[in-house]
Amino acid sequence: MTTDREIAPRIIQALAEYLKRDAATIKESHHLRDDLGLDSMAVIELLYKIEEAFDLQIPDQDLAGLTTVGSVAAYVKTRLAPAKAAPAAKPGATAQSKRKKA
Amino acid sequence: MPVRAVITGLGIVSPIGIGVSEFWKSALAGQSGISAIESFGTLPMEGYRCKIAGRVRAFAPEQYLPPQQSDRVDRYAQFALVAVKEALADADLSMAKERPHRVGVIVGAGMGGMVMGEREVTQLYEQQKPHRVHPNFIPVITLNSASGIVAMAYGAKGPNLTISTACSSSAHALGQALQCIRTGQADVVITVGADASITPLVFAGFCSLRALSSKYNDAPERAARPFDRDRDGFVMGEGAGALIVESAAHAKKRKANIYAELAGYAATSEAYHMVIPREDGVEVATTMKLALESAGVAPGQVDYINAHATSTNIGDEVEAKAIRHLFKKRADAIAVNATKSLVGHTLGAAGAIGAIASALAIQTGQIHPTANYETPDPACRLGGISRSTQERKIRAALLNAFGFGSNNAAVVLRPWSA
Repeated sequence: MTTDREIAPRIIQALAEYLKRDAATIKESHHLRDDLGLDSMAVIELLYKIEEAFDLQIPDQDLAGLTTVGSVAAYVKTRLAPAKAAPAAKPGATAQSKRKKA
Repeated sequence: MPVRAVITGLGIVSPIGIGVSEFWKSALAGQSGISAIESFGTLPMEGYRCKIAGRVRAFAPEQYLPPQQSDRVDRYAQFALVAVKEALADADLSMAKERPHRVGVIVGAGMGGMVMGEREVTQLYEQQKPHRVHPNFIPVITLNSASGIVAMAYGAKGPNLTISTACSSSAHALGQALQCIRTGQADVVITVGADASITPLVFAGFCSLRALSSKYNDAPERAARPFDRDRDGFVMGEGAGALIVESAAHAKKRKANIYAELAGYAATSEAYHMVIPREDGVEVATTMKLALESAGVAPGQVDYINAHATSTNIGDEVEAKAIRHLFKKRADAIAVNATKSLVGHTLGAAGAIGAIASALAIQTGQIHPTANYETPDPACRLGGISRSTQERKIRAALLNAFGFGSNNAAVVLRPWSA
């Protein structure tokens, strides 16, 4: 069972591996795009790793709120909470991750 | 005076109709071809974020094709064969009267033979029997299987090419057909776009890319909504479009009916990102501008744009921005529609299907509706998008197509005038 305290460090570790930088330089307050330089595709790749690490499926509609390291950690925490297994989707939220031309 | 190219025949296999007449009737009615996918065989849809697609229903290749053509190719190539058969008949082009080496085939396909491809890979791992991989596996999945079988079916011995630039593939096929005619390599180019990859793995891949709509699984016909505020991704489609492109002189000689002139084309790369377009739209605007220059058409003459408009948030926004950037104040006076609102995103077939809608618009003066355009998104508002059919005399039409790999294409069509 993952404890709450482990969630943020694991996410930071995943980010550090993805970005190939020292985990100590990544803070929960960091904005994924503005501070860490992740484009929308990189965010999707990161969430793909997080889904695997925490055995989750993250609906498209939840992506809009996942903008900082801390918000990702809080989201995962909510999703892993035993009594609240339902996704923390905000109804009507626009998934800003659909940033593709296809 | 350079050699001019015209479009003299059309053929289509689409989620809203097999055959041009059925397609056009459905298109003008704004009918959606999107429906729920119940399952992929024994694989349930539970794990898929998106559970809907624009599929060609009740497609029975044996109704249209002799077994020697249809049995040894994948679904996308069967679509191509059926569309080409209709287009050649529509053009009243008899191969017996043509010089075989002057008739080329250019196909745009993004994914190719994925039905057999996925099946064989699955079986190989499940059964652990490499010697049981189908002997036709390689020729079927090879991406030029459609251009090959079309040439064989009709004895077309001229240039035979396959262009694979993801979702812009068949817009480039049309562009390359134009180049072929302009440079005198062929009198006729059978030009096709085809894809049929609503297959378990490809579909899962697009889900993982988070490129597909997932909000409208319970209302599939509402999911493809280009330029609408509530869009949330594209809907996969499948199909094929075929256009007979020939030199104007050749068409005149055989007194062919001409739908439109294929007047110009531009191909560019944004050299930017594999899946994300440049957000300022400048590269898309440049592509459209170059295509118009290639056609000798001024921006002020463009009355209609068949937009790429896949219904993704960023894609539609960038395209609208590009249209505004290039056409300035006139941007709102141009009729714009999105064929993908009806058939979904047919990937490699999209350019050809859009070109068929454009050729028919030029001929009939009718511009099909953009389905589900209910609440204009302020970020991509253009005055010429409508949920209803628009009537307009078109002096020049632009067709846009953009693909993964930072790839852009634009094609110009206009009414034929000697």
